[in-house]
Amino acid sequence: MTLSDENNFGLQCQGVSHWFGETKVLFDLNLNVHAGQFLSLIGPSGCGKSTLLRAILGTHPPHRGKILTLQNGRLANADRPGRDRGIVYQKYSLYPFLTALDNVALGLKFDQTTTAFRWLNWVGWGKKRREFRDRAAAFLDKVGLGQAMHLYPSQMSGGMQQRVAIAQALIMEPEIILLDEPFGALDEATREELQEMLLQFYEENKVAMAEGKKPPYTLIIVTHELNEAIRVGDRLVGLSQYWDWKADGHDRSPGATVVYDKPAPVFRPDERPDYELFADIRQDIRQVVYNPKVLQRRDEHVNLSPTS
Amino acid sequence: MIRGPISQAKSILLASLSVALLLLGYTWVSHRQHQVNPKDTTIPSWGQLADGVKKFTRPDRKEERWIVEDSIATGRRFFYGIGLGVMCGFVLGMLMGCFSSLEAFLQPPIALLAKVPQTAALAVYFVVFGTGLSMYVAMISLGIIPALAVTVYLAIKDLPSEMLDKAYTLGASHFEVATEVVFRQVLPKFIDAVRLAIGPAIVFLIAAEMVVGDVGFGYRIRLQFKLTNMNVVYPYLVMLAFFGFALDYGLRFLQAKLCSWYQRDSK
Repeated sequence: MTLSDENNFGLQCQGVSHWFGETKVLFDLNLNVHAGQFLSLIGPSGCGKSTLLRAILGTHPPHRGKILTLQNGRLANADRPGRDRGIVYQKYSLYPFLTALDNVALGLKFDQTTTAFRWLNWVGWGKKRREFRDRAAAFLDKVGLGQAMHLYPSQMSGGMQQRVAIAQALIMEPEIILLDEPFGALDEATREELQEMLLQFYEENKVAMAEGKKPPYTLIIVTHELNEAIRVGDRLVGLSQYWDWKADGHDRSPGATVVYDKPAPVFRPDERPDYELFADIRQDIRQVVYNPKVLQRRDEHVNLSPTS
Repeated sequence: MIRGPISQAKSILLASLSVALLLLGYTWVSHRQHQVNPKDTTIPSWGQLADGVKKFTRPDRKEERWIVEDSIATGRRFFYGIGLGVMCGFVLGMLMGCFSSLEAFLQPPIALLAKVPQTAALAVYFVVFGTGLSMYVAMISLGIIPALAVTVYLAIKDLPSEMLDKAYTLGASHFEVATEVVFRQVLPKFIDAVRLAIGPAIVFLIAAEMVVGDVGFGYRIRLQFKLTNMNVVYPYLVMLAFFGFALDYGLRFLQAKLCSWYQRDSK
């Protein structure tokens, strides 16, 4: 598919607010994600990252505002989980009763065949299943799990499980993929390997863009690890309840909103970044996003990248 | 050492030793009894037991072999009852697990039914269903439905909601989530529940046969017990035990075949 103005969307959040009774969580949050972006979402604990993610996923739609994704070629409200949004959790992403291969092929099966077809047209389903498994196998090869295709999740290490989970979501090429602290439970070395894997998918995006095609992978990665956010993302978005809401005429905190939105340096997968160079960015983010004592106007550090 | 492993040869040896001790013990008790009363039939000698086996394997005056007619009658009642109970229990459990309103609606009767002792309620079944096949089927199925339904629906409640949401993001329909995600996860636990339900089902069936049966294992055991023909009663009990054991083994085999991932998981 060629890239055009009509399909250059991953996600649009328009004036999203959410609260639980008296507790205000999200306030007037606006966020446009374009096709092919790798957006790192960061913020202090309790800032509503999970609430936002659940709202985007559609399991808990926001109380106010709209979340739009491309569904069947049209912008539509994402008020329930759907095929246009993928998700990778820290755990429970894989089905324990399926092998790695079948876990990855599962989405193709759900998306491209119906129960009636599978139950009634055995020959057709056999053919389709072989095709899906071939595609899944090729994808697993790409993420370096060619040898582990026939293992069950319980037989795999945490790192392998997350690789499969990412493959399971990415093979569907949804409009946007949400990664909710995907590497939170992994050790440092495994984390870096998986970051490199994500950057390989970013390379595929670059190739597609250079050919004028729609980039296949758009993702939001939520992480509490700033180095990871900077290395994997091409855009850093900070969500925080620490902003100068008094200046906007509120007498108590209306909730967290986007207070930081800047492009991030882009790395090649084989490039080992010098984390020292991240120091300035980290310092910047700690001040603006994480420090409760430093309050600034909400749009002060929102420099929209030129593509936006 | 606590939980220390032993060799396979040793475990086979110990198992055969326990069986041999049981048989020897029986022989000794029976021998002592026959010294006191040579005509005793309460603890039959091996020879008397052989006579008993002949009695129920050879045609009687009506040209019927007891073992054949009893097996057919009891087996039919058992499998119809278990079959209906398993189907209804599973469907009810799935519905209760998937739909909260059905859960609220069905929970009181199921909780109540689970607490009624089936053997105490026999009279109700006789009055409502008579004494034919339908009575046995109703009693067995109603007896096992509560436990099966509750197992299924608790297993569904246990599923992390992430797994269901994930399926929707992969393009699954509601029906596909139920059949391809929920069902697959619940199946091994359901098979375990069926294994546990076999014991009570046999108890209900034998008890009812003892009261109103005119053929079947319960009927035969009651009749031969009244005549103190323990040489028929004991072999019948052993056969019942083997029947339960074989079913249990079959279900475990089925579980290992259908849900190999579950076996791996529980190790």
